Amino acid sequence: MIAPFKWQKLGQVFNPTEIKDRAFLKEFAQAPSTIIFDDFVRVYFSCRPAPDANSQYINYSAFVDFDRSNFFSILRVSETPILELGDLGTFDEFGTYPVSVIKVGNEFFAYYGGWTRCYSVPFNVNIGIAISRDDGKSFTRIGDGPVLSYTKDEPFILSSPKIRIFNGKFYLFYIAGKKWIIDEDKPEPVYRIRMAVSEDGNNWTKIERDLISVVIEEDEAQASPDVFFMNGLFHMFFCYRHSKNYRNGERGYRIGYASSRDLFNWKRDDLKAGISVSTVGWDSESISYPHIFTMDGNIYMIYLGNQVGKFGFGIAKLVM
Amino acid sequence: MIFNPSEHGLEFDCSDFAQSPQTLVFEDFVRVYFSTRKRDSGGQYVSVVVFVDFDKEFKHIINYSKDEVIPLGQIGTFDEHGIFPFHPLRVNDHIMAYTCGWSRRISVPVETSTGLAISNDGGITFTKYGNGPILTSSLSEPFLVGDSFVIYEEGTYHMWYIYGKKWFLDTEFNIPERVYKIGYAYSGDGINWKKSNLKGLIPDLIGENECQALPTVIKIGNTYHMYFCYRNATDFRMNFNRSYRLGYAYTEDINNWIRDDKSSGIEFSESDWDSQMMCYPHICKVDDQIFLLYNGNMFGKLGFGLAELSE
Repeated sequence: MIAPFKWQKLGQVFNPTEIKDRAFLKEFAQAPSTIIFDDFVRVYFSCRPAPDANSQYINYSAFVDFDRSNFFSILRVSETPILELGDLGTFDEFGTYPVSVIKVGNEFFAYYGGWTRCYSVPFNVNIGIAISRDDGKSFTRIGDGPVLSYTKDEPFILSSPKIRIFNGKFYLFYIAGKKWIIDEDKPEPVYRIRMAVSEDGNNWTKIERDLISVVIEEDEAQASPDVFFMNGLFHMFFCYRHSKNYRNGERGYRIGYASSRDLFNWKRDDLKAGISVSTVGWDSESISYPHIFTMDGNIYMIYLGNQVGKFGFGIAKLVM
Repeated sequence: MIFNPSEHGLEFDCSDFAQSPQTLVFEDFVRVYFSTRKRDSGGQYVSVVVFVDFDKEFKHIINYSKDEVIPLGQIGTFDEHGIFPFHPLRVNDHIMAYTCGWSRRISVPVETSTGLAISNDGGITFTKYGNGPILTSSLSEPFLVGDSFVIYEEGTYHMWYIYGKKWFLDTEFNIPERVYKIGYAYSGDGINWKKSNLKGLIPDLIGENECQALPTVIKIGNTYHMYFCYRNATDFRMNFNRSYRLGYAYTEDINNWIRDDKSSGIEFSESDWDSQMMCYPHICKVDDQIFLLYNGNMFGKLGFGLAELSE
């Protein structure tokens, strides 16, 4: 029996609309993930320049460094995106979002969603890898193509990668598209949480099934599956939403929870997540894209607020 | 020329295009699958697969498919906007097909991947093995995987296919053009494939921007013979000096191919349906005779023809 988690919200710590001198960072700070350095915490996130003449966005990833002892003290914001967009016709020509970074030896591996634009649906996503050899400041893709691509039952939208190492093995938690549904003449994707396992971080074996059951509807969409180990169990926080009209707060993203003893079989129990929308403020309509990290004996959750990170992210601390 | 779609009143709306003929040999007839085209609701072409049955000497047409043999994919899937080519294969009485699915893009016109389909009614209709592909983009083959051709021997499936190497802007016509090459993959079950990732498998004859397509392979004795088609990457649609022609290569060990177009034994006609372009070859053995089917001018708009190997 796991007691319900209890989170103390510390507040919003990064609002991209307050950053004035970065053309690539006009709006949104999405899908945060962290690397802990000796005296600061680096939070990678994805952001957007102003939309083009057709109101279309591209996505970049960037970082912000916080003082390790004070999340309300921003030390620096990256001056350029951490990764350029891909060449003409490649899977990541129009975006590199989300990103999940892990340190392996002296290198940093970024697993990211690469975005292309399609004709009948707005986009498709595949997962690629980029490597940094300058302490995670800039990354170079390891090839022009994706590392995890479409298969029989994962026909499109492989995204939301979360990379973790447990017992010497690499685990990639991600989402795969199930179908596109039409909501008021607009295609909307339904996606679910999946997993792949690797010895080296490059060659992956998909386990080829959904990890997390659905609760709100058959076409529930799930994202941001972030896993950590504590007290003999694996814990996953993720976000989920309704399939249609989800930009309305009531049907928008909420944070869910599941636990597992073996990483393969998961028991969902959202009541234990211990975090939901606030009554007022930056996270009052929806909360999404949780990322869990441990620092100085505390466990923190960093997550997005209203409009899926249009106004940035905040942080909560686990009450032990 | 043995099949001209405009001369046959097919039940589906198909008077143009019979591309990439590929055979499945039955006891007393040869079924030839090919891709024809129809217009979608937006007025754009989509390729769909049908068949026509010939007697075993390709002298007479004895039957047609009544409908498309495989549906196009659902919204957002890899084969939503066309299947071309379609490669049938019989292994131990099981009939399957490797499909090349097309889906449209915005910055470039198209992306492709290879799918798998199974037939349980003797090759009249096919059911997809999943909504996704079985062979697609990867780290060093970033897009445009397709044109799969498979042979089965002694427990191993061998696949030759094509993959994209680059997209670039043709500044003369201001359109994106692509370069693709022939690759090789192998499998124990025909479903799960391991790419060899061998680059330069078939050496280029006209430079690094040579586009190689539609490999077709037959083993005779200890030698594997491959026909394929190739063209320049730009200005190939109307400039017939730069358009598709047939190439040839051979190997005895699968991995090391010797390119030898001069030995292909087939040339353009002086002035006929295949005088400007030859493409989408398919080699097959019917009883003891070896045939080469292929498309001619205008990428097969006018239909396909046949050549017979002389001993």
